[in-house]
Amino acid sequence: MAARLVRRVVRSAGLERSLVLVCPVSRTYGSVAARAPQMAPAKEVQADDEKILTEPLKHSDFFHLAELFTLKDLFDARVHLGHKRGCRHRLMEPYLYGCRLEQDILDLERTVEHLQVALNFTAHVAYRGGIILFVSRNRQHAHLVESTARACGEYAHTRYWHGGLLTNGHVQYGLGTRLPDLLVFFSTLNTVFQQHVAIRDAAKMNIPTVGIVDSDCNPSLVTYPVPGNDDSPAALELYCRLFRLTVNRAKDKRRQVELLYQLKGKDEARQ
Amino acid sequence: MAGSRLEKLGTVFTRIRNLMRAGVLKEADRPIWYDVYAAFPPKKEPVYQKPMGRFRKVEDNVQEILYKEDVIRAKFFEIYGNGPRAFDLTKANFVSTSQRFLEKYQELEKAANLSEEALLEETGKALLAEGLILRRRTGGFGMAVQTSDSSVSTDTENQRPVLEMKLKDMLEERQNVMSSLPQSSDKENIPSQSTPSA
Repeated sequence: MAARLVRRVVRSAGLERSLVLVCPVSRTYGSVAARAPQMAPAKEVQADDEKILTEPLKHSDFFHLAELFTLKDLFDARVHLGHKRGCRHRLMEPYLYGCRLEQDILDLERTVEHLQVALNFTAHVAYRGGIILFVSRNRQHAHLVESTARACGEYAHTRYWHGGLLTNGHVQYGLGTRLPDLLVFFSTLNTVFQQHVAIRDAAKMNIPTVGIVDSDCNPSLVTYPVPGNDDSPAALELYCRLFRLTVNRAKDKRRQVELLYQLKGKDEARQ
Repeated sequence: MAGSRLEKLGTVFTRIRNLMRAGVLKEADRPIWYDVYAAFPPKKEPVYQKPMGRFRKVEDNVQEILYKEDVIRAKFFEIYGNGPRAFDLTKANFVSTSQRFLEKYQELEKAANLSEEALLEETGKALLAEGLILRRRTGGFGMAVQTSDSSVSTDTENQRPVLEMKLKDMLEERQNVMSSLPQSSDKENIPSQSTPSA
């Protein structure tokens, strides 16, 4: 592909700023889906391109993500365990099943629904070649999140979030920087138990977010919240595995579909 | 590309949609996720919720998770404290001491028609017969308090030898009860000591 963007894994250290992908082609201010071909494409190719993008949206579960997990898997990974009653956020009350001996228990039936919707959205964004940034400020799982991002060919940011990363990207990283198309939070809180700045910044920059919200988190600004435990290593491993499988499936599907249309085009040209 | 940084006004989707309606953002320049959001919207619109005022009454709408068996568990912990064996949470189907007590209690409740205190005692004896030794909690009150009252001090002095005697008596009593059971036709057949517990 002429305009294929080179992907690099974000290397974010304590002092270095994180690197954001630079769009090499256009100088237009944040032209996101621009492919900028050298010559005008043929009408059939255009129709095919549109078809590639619109067809998957007609199916409710195009990537068969429902088979990736069950409610029992979530229970075994201790996703239903929340924090103590005193830490509860009032906006998380609809997602709670109850309170057992002062510990909040999240309703796994709701979690399953929300997780399906969130994974489906992530898959479609990955299918369309969107950039996904995994964010987590939980130091225990920083390495896991970074290796998950590397495994899917996407990006991660698990260090201190410098203020203008999204909102001042064009000044800090130069004109024409391409910002992520989706932010996935494995924990929406930072190290001082306040909401991560990136949630508000993503909303400001009109970037949708998928976030695992625990019983002490604020789910209001997260586009696709997933009520679940964000502290147990078992739960985090499950989430990382699910997101990695989703993104890889979506990208493989895209390559498959493109190959299919290419072959179809060749066949038609021959005939 | 036109943008709107008002995160407290509407959702990400409505802002982009309105920019397109206003003609500021071209259809061709719409973000990648726009069509996906339109096809698969979230269950609840991600609108910004204002934080509540500081001096509002906090209502607790979340129900407590309590079971009928919790009463029995509470009694167990009151009498025996934590029990001899710690909880092993690494195993998925681990049966703790309190769980065994509970199951035995429920068996005996179905079998015989006794009062609550009698049932608790019977369960303790039954578990002892199965080989699970439960030590009654001596409690913080009896041992720690040092009074000049002679009756209290003698009680605490004699408590331990009395306890030990009681255990042996209980065991003998239990064995007698077990041996006499097959003769009584009214009661259900409680498995004898020789058969291993399942």
